Amino acid sequence: MSAVLECRGVSMGYAGAGGVRPVLADIALTLNPGEFLTIVGASGTGKTTLLRLLAGLTRCTSGEVLFKGERMTAPRPGVAIVFQDYVHALLEWRTVGGNVALGIEDSLPRAERDARVRESLTLVGLAHAIDDYPRHLSGGMQQRVQIARALAMRPDVLLMDEPFGALDAMTKQSLQDELLRIQGETNTSFVFITHDIDEAVYLGDRCAVITGAPGRITRSFDIHLPRPRMPVETRQMPEFLTLRAAIHAAIDGGGRAGA
Amino acid sequence: MPPSTGAAVPAREWLRHHAPGLLTAAGLIGVWETAVRLSSVRLDSLPPPSGIVLAGIEAVRSGQMADDLTHTLTATLAGWAAASIAGIAAGILLIQFEGLRRFSQAAIELLRPLPPVAFVPVAVLAFGFSFATEFSVMLLPCLWPVLINTIGGLGQTPARLLEVARCCRFSRWRTLKKLTLPHAFPTILVGLRLSLSMALVLAVVTEMIGNPQGMGYALIREQQALRSDTMFAYLFVIGLTGVALNAALRQAARWLAPGWRHVL
Repeated sequence: MSAVLECRGVSMGYAGAGGVRPVLADIALTLNPGEFLTIVGASGTGKTTLLRLLAGLTRCTSGEVLFKGERMTAPRPGVAIVFQDYVHALLEWRTVGGNVALGIEDSLPRAERDARVRESLTLVGLAHAIDDYPRHLSGGMQQRVQIARALAMRPDVLLMDEPFGALDAMTKQSLQDELLRIQGETNTSFVFITHDIDEAVYLGDRCAVITGAPGRITRSFDIHLPRPRMPVETRQMPEFLTLRAAIHAAIDGGGRAGA
Repeated sequence: MPPSTGAAVPAREWLRHHAPGLLTAAGLIGVWETAVRLSSVRLDSLPPPSGIVLAGIEAVRSGQMADDLTHTLTATLAGWAAASIAGIAAGILLIQFEGLRRFSQAAIELLRPLPPVAFVPVAVLAFGFSFATEFSVMLLPCLWPVLINTIGGLGQTPARLLEVARCCRFSRWRTLKKLTLPHAFPTILVGLRLSLSMALVLAVVTEMIGNPQGMGYALIREQQALRSDTMFAYLFVIGLTGVALNAALRQAARWLAPGWRHVL
């Protein structure tokens, strides 16, 4: 199986007053087709920078990021991203339908575009809100609009940067299950960044732990929990609990080693 | 909401909202009327409101008011439209090209504080007592509000929206068309509204001292004929024109940008 997205020896630093401040060091990562990869780590470990590298929004200072074997230097079709701050990422003057159409309206004929918009909104359960404005929707629904906009582009990879970080626990739970359902219905690969260990285990096929400053991927866990995952049952399985404890230990241990 | 009340409710709302202000205005006019009628001294320069209304009706009947108003409206809209198009275009160029901004900043800062009316003698010298004088006087002063607000609005695009544009792989111009310009619409509209008020003021002033036509000249004409009631009638019509132009622009903006209706 060839990787959709791959990082080889990626390091990244930001130029500051006192020279280059390293953010990520020697990251090696592969994302297989259809895989759900979660990346978990404390704040300040470069998680968001890593996702921006994968999206082509930033370039690494050494190493290379490959998408389907080709070097990535700018955003590419096939890679879509969902940001945490849906309020700023949505176009407040456009309706929900208009927001979802943004990435496809220039490349697709009208009928196909409209069908794609409806299909994406149906996937996230928002078909009824197509003519509403984002400001009339709850936070969870606005984040669904952003997910629908990404899905409408039919990406091979969907990158998500703590997408549910700003939402309440109940909304978060239902969006997690929706995301898993979408993964089952499409053939999309996911890279999902979070600081929530529970979420990382519940969603992922694999979980990479990033620790330290500069951030390094110190551990990677394969998650063999049965699918479909169940909100209550899955979280009570011994393997779930073991993984959660192991990831917790990996984050704590890595943090101390890095400090 | 049942559709039958759709029109009735806003009208009633509007009345309830504006009733106190309208009452004050009506009260002031009443005081004015009474004071002039009861006064033992007859002031030629201050006619009663009823006299102003009668003189106004007469000016409308004779067709003079329509001619004057048409001239002033034409000049105002022509000057405003030209300045607005230039202002938006220049704002876009200055935002898109850093070098252009650096070369023009000093010139803009030098020209901008000049009092608008200071251009009238210059324009009269160049174009004589003509429409060209009126039009050219408006251009620069009406340009500034649009230009400054266009630059301000375009410069305030959230960084996140620009990243969304990059992820959609939009070109610079597509980003402008789909994200930055629509996002800046309410800010640019503020400039357009300021500029429209400014255009009307400058049209009237230039007609008073530069181009002897329209509403501004009518004020002078009636003043010199000692018809203070007709002069006041013109004064009020000029005021109402300003209100109507502003309301029309706002309505047009709401129609043009339905997504921004809640802030317009």
